[in-house]
Amino acid sequence: MAMTLNKGNLTGILRVFQTAGTCLTQSTPARCLVPTLACRQNSSSVTNPASFVPHTSLSRPPWPELPAFDPEDQEKKHGAVVQKVNGLIQSGEYGRLFAVVQFAGRQWKVTNEDLILIENHIDVECGAGIRLEKVLLVGGNDFTLIGKPLLGGDLVRVQATVIEKTESWPMVHMRFWKRHRFQKKKIIIQPQTVLRINTIDILPRLT
Amino acid sequence: MCKMLLIGVLCLFVQHFRGRKNRCYSLAVRAVRRAFVYASKARKAKRRNMRTLWISRIAAATREHGMKYPALVHNLLKCSVQLNRRVLCDLSITEPRSFHALTALARARQQEGLRAALGDGTEPPGVFSRITQLQ
Repeated sequence: MAMTLNKGNLTGILRVFQTAGTCLTQSTPARCLVPTLACRQNSSSVTNPASFVPHTSLSRPPWPELPAFDPEDQEKKHGAVVQKVNGLIQSGEYGRLFAVVQFAGRQWKVTNEDLILIENHIDVECGAGIRLEKVLLVGGNDFTLIGKPLLGGDLVRVQATVIEKTESWPMVHMRFWKRHRFQKKKIIIQPQTVLRINTIDILPRLT
Repeated sequence: MCKMLLIGVLCLFVQHFRGRKNRCYSLAVRAVRRAFVYASKARKAKRRNMRTLWISRIAAATREHGMKYPALVHNLLKCSVQLNRRVLCDLSITEPRSFHALTALARARQQEGLRAALGDGTEPPGVFSRITQLQ
């Protein structure tokens, strides 16, 4: 109960303390309030276990608590996961596959029937087939295979065809410094190739 | 004749400008020069902005899974998984389960590293440490 300590309230406070059964002086009502309340609380408080250490800056190490680690349990779990994924691959229940492929200095997330625009020239004729070899990741409906860093050629196969070889629209590269009579203008036309990803296959052989 | 061709070429760039820049030759020349310079600078800045966007998206996605972006990237590198930020961002948006698998991999590698660093949990003999172990 929040009450200010002035003349009007003092008599009210004293009456409250007298009903509590303690004898007080006018000058120290606040000091005697604490032991009565503390005594009342401790009678029904929860007892802490003997190993309890209150949380201070040095009571716990600064690194987080790690979960318990059982290597055999981990091995069993990993084996079960590998078996399940092998089963899914053998039965072919993966739906539409997507792959992350490294090509022309960039990584592409790719599925079947995808079109890719590459900003450089490839020495392959139009209509010829290409196999993209650097596959970093393959995923299906219920599993993903993550390569470290690449997945083997006997595991994944990504096939594409070159559809067209064009040039980009003429981009203007201009540099200008004001009050210095400096300006340079260059028109850049990049060669481009368009690839269509035909198929992504997983071959059923995983260890 | 040559001047007419140049003016014609300029008109192609200027049709969507506002005010007298799209009608008067002198003003149009200056406006087109500024437009070309802005476009050139923006093509460079686009690469930087896209990378920051990817990084912030990947950070948000990793925090949904209870990890932080630097931890994810460092541990994926330690596992020799060389996926770049653009692909990680795409995976976090379109392939949430694959991204969850990647965060789990990074977390496992992080905990393995911490366990290897902690070792037995005992101090070397003769070393007095501030870290008090619960007895």
